[in-house]
Amino acid sequence: MRTWWPRLVRKLLALTALVILGGLASATLVRFAPGYGVDERELDPRLSGASVEAMRAAHQREANLLSYYAAYLRHAASGDLGTSESLQRPIAELIRQRFAVTARAVLLGTTIAWLAALLTVTFGHFLSGWIFETSSSLLSGLLLALPATVVALVFVWLRGPIFLAIACLTFPRLFRFLHHLLRQAKDQPHVLAAQARGIRPGRIFLRHVVLFALPAMVALLGVSVSMAFGAAIPIEALTDTPGLGQLAWYAAINRDLPLIINVTLIVTLVTVASNFAADSSCRMALRLA
Amino acid sequence: MNWRNKVRMALACLLGTFFLLALASELVAPYSYARQFRDLPLAAPSAAHPLGTDALGRDVFSRVLYGSRVSLLLAPAAALLATVIAGVSGALAGLRGGWWEKTILASADLMMALPLLFVLLALRATLPLDVAPLLSAAATFALLGLLGWPASLRVVWAATRNIRESEFLTLARAQGIGPVRMVLRHVLPNVRPVLQAQFWVTIPVFILAEATLSMLGLGVMEPLPSWGNLLRGLEDLSALRANPGLLSPLVLLILVVRGLQMLLPPREELAS
Repeated sequence: MRTWWPRLVRKLLALTALVILGGLASATLVRFAPGYGVDERELDPRLSGASVEAMRAAHQREANLLSYYAAYLRHAASGDLGTSESLQRPIAELIRQRFAVTARAVLLGTTIAWLAALLTVTFGHFLSGWIFETSSSLLSGLLLALPATVVALVFVWLRGPIFLAIACLTFPRLFRFLHHLLRQAKDQPHVLAAQARGIRPGRIFLRHVVLFALPAMVALLGVSVSMAFGAAIPIEALTDTPGLGQLAWYAAINRDLPLIINVTLIVTLVTVASNFAADSSCRMALRLA
Repeated sequence: MNWRNKVRMALACLLGTFFLLALASELVAPYSYARQFRDLPLAAPSAAHPLGTDALGRDVFSRVLYGSRVSLLLAPAAALLATVIAGVSGALAGLRGGWWEKTILASADLMMALPLLFVLLALRATLPLDVAPLLSAAATFALLGLLGWPASLRVVWAATRNIRESEFLTLARAQGIGPVRMVLRHVLPNVRPVLQAQFWVTIPVFILAEATLSMLGLGVMEPLPSWGNLLRGLEDLSALRANPGLLSPLVLLILVVRGLQMLLPPREELAS
């Protein structure tokens, strides 16, 4: 109990500090972006001079960055993330609707990429030779050299599902890491000793190679989620999928800063949380190994 | 010389040729990148237009050459900026330790927690979209350079920590040399192989990031070509059927990115 409790509290505090700092950075960006404080309603001839003055006074109150940030935090704590300037809809509602689409695609894409990478490295472990090394290196190298947008375009042409596009972009990175990890584990003295004792190759692979590489593999889980979220922007933008990635792109094109900042924060939270979960699982895997 | 080194040498020659062609694009390109042949939209490759023309009747070969100049010159510049930031702050963190180390590493962790593409979109959105093409290219690569340092910083920090207690640094400290001079004169020259590796690793990452941003309409602006906005020609499948030469920027990009990745010595050699 004593060992993990302070660490958990420390991690949670770090997470909170990260969110607060991220929020401050977001608020600063919004506050100092060109065009901040310009309200087109001021040009509405139906509004009286007093109404225009009231709007200007409201903007003036937000001129101080710290008070602006305090108000931003207060509203965010109550679930009010503001209103999108380009879509004229509450940001919380937009994120709620689109998060499920992206989360589903990222989850499916990451799972498929992991399965494909694990299968390929297992295959390579038992059939290692120059043919496997060359072909796998060429294929993963080619996929790594392709921009995410080109992969998205190929899926638009083929009318393929977007989670497969995410899997295509995540797979080569995962494959390279896993291949390197297993190759390192395979060269360990205890593996060589097990081979010398005549233990079956399947047993050596599962009990000695995979178990040795397990902590690093678990740590890779968090990174793969982050990679998949990064890949989701161009894919969703080009395939016209109504997810968070498309929302971020739309917000950037329309310079809707409150929207893009909140989307970035949400994705950061997911990334940090998945890294935190992977980190905790990694410690458990280390004990197991 | 083993076959790996031979392949690397051949790749280095190929990349060097691309780089020289990109530098001399004004001399080599038959036309200006913006010149239109209005009666020849989407023309197939011919003697006058070796890679055909795009939908606006512009010569693809000339545009690829000029685009290579933007991508091949600005990506290394951005990588250099990122490596310098990572080198100085990573060395300072590794050398000073204490609060310096904690603050610098925490800021790197903060940056690494934010997905790069989302942050790039957020920052690009704060800049006006209708800027001059050259300014948009500079802004895109400057953003990449300013955001791409955290991973390199951790590597430099780890390398500096390894030499923190070495005799030559202890002697330098005993002589009262200040931290800035110590970083510039003693630490950075000793972690130069690490810095060089990080520089080369970062270039393909930045080339791909620019391609993604430009294809999304947030990078280098038309009519200035870059590999990213040239790839926008692939969005129209019928145009691609009419002129397969539109695929040339993609082929070139894959060759250069893959070439740069293969040019780096493998991890085992780097470690030794």
